[in-house]
Amino acid sequence: MTDQTEPAPSAEGAYTRFCAVSELPPESKKAVRIGSHWILVCHTEGRYYAVSNICSHATRPLMMGRVRHCTITCPVHGARFNLESGAALNLPATKPIATYPVRIVDDWIEVML
Amino acid sequence: MSVKTEEVIKLKDLPKGDARCPGAPSTQDIIAADTVKAPGWVCSESYQFLGDEDIPTDRYTDPAYAKRELDTLWKKTWQFACREEHIAEVGDYYVYDLGHYSFIITRVAENEIRAYYNACLHRGTKLRASGTDGNAEEFKCSFHGWSWNLDGTHKSTTCDWDFPHVDSKKFSLPQARVARLGGFVFINMDPAAPSLEDYLGPEALSHIKAWKLEDRYVYLHVSKRIPANWKLTIEAFMEAYHVIETHPQVAPSNGDANSQYDIYGEHVDRFISTLGVVSPHLYGQVSEQDILNQFTLGDSSALGDTKFTLKDGGTARSVMAEMFRGMFEKATNTDLSKVSDSELLDCFSYTVFPNTFLFPGISLPMVYRFRPDRHDHRKCLYEVLFLRPVPVDGKRPVPAMPIHLEDHQSFTEAAGMDPGFGAILDQDTENLILQQEGVEASAKKGLTLGNYQEIRVRHFNRALDKYVGKSLG
Repeated sequence: MTDQTEPAPSAEGAYTRFCAVSELPPESKKAVRIGSHWILVCHTEGRYYAVSNICSHATRPLMMGRVRHCTITCPVHGARFNLESGAALNLPATKPIATYPVRIVDDWIEVML
Repeated sequence: MSVKTEEVIKLKDLPKGDARCPGAPSTQDIIAADTVKAPGWVCSESYQFLGDEDIPTDRYTDPAYAKRELDTLWKKTWQFACREEHIAEVGDYYVYDLGHYSFIITRVAENEIRAYYNACLHRGTKLRASGTDGNAEEFKCSFHGWSWNLDGTHKSTTCDWDFPHVDSKKFSLPQARVARLGGFVFINMDPAAPSLEDYLGPEALSHIKAWKLEDRYVYLHVSKRIPANWKLTIEAFMEAYHVIETHPQVAPSNGDANSQYDIYGEHVDRFISTLGVVSPHLYGQVSEQDILNQFTLGDSSALGDTKFTLKDGGTARSVMAEMFRGMFEKATNTDLSKVSDSELLDCFSYTVFPNTFLFPGISLPMVYRFRPDRHDHRKCLYEVLFLRPVPVDGKRPVPAMPIHLEDHQSFTEAAGMDPGFGAILDQDTENLILQQEGVEASAKKGLTLGNYQEIRVRHFNRALDKYVGKSLG
């Protein structure tokens, strides 16, 4: 579980490298700032999900939240979001978080901004 | 089933509660004939006649009775709040609600679980939303940010300069009592209540300990709102008497009218309903091969498309036991060689008063929980959790996420629900709608119960009388 800032933002609407596949083993997650985006990629139950790292409720980071059953729970106040759709699943959040297309190319995890 | 006249006369002469289904083997007779013998907790009987007066119906219809239950029954009884695997790691929490009560059940240390009243001590906001779970390093209120440590001690007050009258040491989160048994976390709001062990009593406690349900995990969890009072709903699952009329598709492979009923102390009762034998209602109409063709399980996914065939001179029950053992072992990666035929096949339904059913069998490996709808005493929340043995490699799967069905949905629509079992639950639900309405419409203000087959309903209502009172009148 790490957080870092990537220095070179990529163009919006294009896939950009997030991190090496080896940096994100099964059942782990990593947050990276890319330009104006703060993206959290979760590797869970055999899939990769890319979402905003910012909780829609009180704008706290989700990175330390528990991931289970394709959801992430905000560790601060307990809001939960679907990792695939970004939908808010319970109070205190009512608004979704952003999601990003994610793919693996060679040994890299890429997300589309 | 035909019964000779002299037999009827003899039955009528028996002391109340002593009559059993005529012309049918008892549950213990059936189990005694099995190949792999059953343990002591299966082979015992504990029935007691508890009277035959009607049960007053205002308890199902009067909102004032439901309100009284909140102050009496629900505040003083042990309730199943969550499974231990729901909160496996330190900091994991699970919110359990009952009516307007709400608790955060959390693991504060590897071997310590606490239940906090789920409300900020500042201005009362719930610290975690109802129906949620997660992991936290602290419980922080989403309103003004007051926070509490995992151990419940007060951690911080936003702008504490403005609260010189708040003594942090006296602002720990209030707790309910917690007890753990068989992988279940129970809570009780009453500091004066007996321990969970005393509440269950020695015999029921020994049964529950023998099952080792701590070695199971939740692999399916389905909930649905039922449009009937929680007590009517719970009572619908306490007897096999209704099987022949409500679930006729099950009767060819279920010993319903000769099921066994037992009571243990004030808070626990059970039935044993045998599988792989024909209903006494259908004697002479169903062959042993018919039984194999028509049986219904709670968890038939392990069986795949396998067809069962009768062996020469054998019984359907013996074929099913042999086949189930191998297939459940394979499907669940567990060793069932020492598990009796009865535990593999039969429906063991235990009630822990007030609202939890435990089914320790292998083919019906379930837990039921019933809770009143906090906004409508004519509705309740029904949950079924299917428990499977933890795989032999010891790796405990994460408990399944609850599937909440909408009111209009069939139980068969829940992903993972056995279609045959879902259909049974739908049939029960349909009855309950009519029963709630009928109890309200009836000129007769009491329910009349059978002395043997409905003893669990009477036993449940006796406990209810003790905690809540007989009626409001």
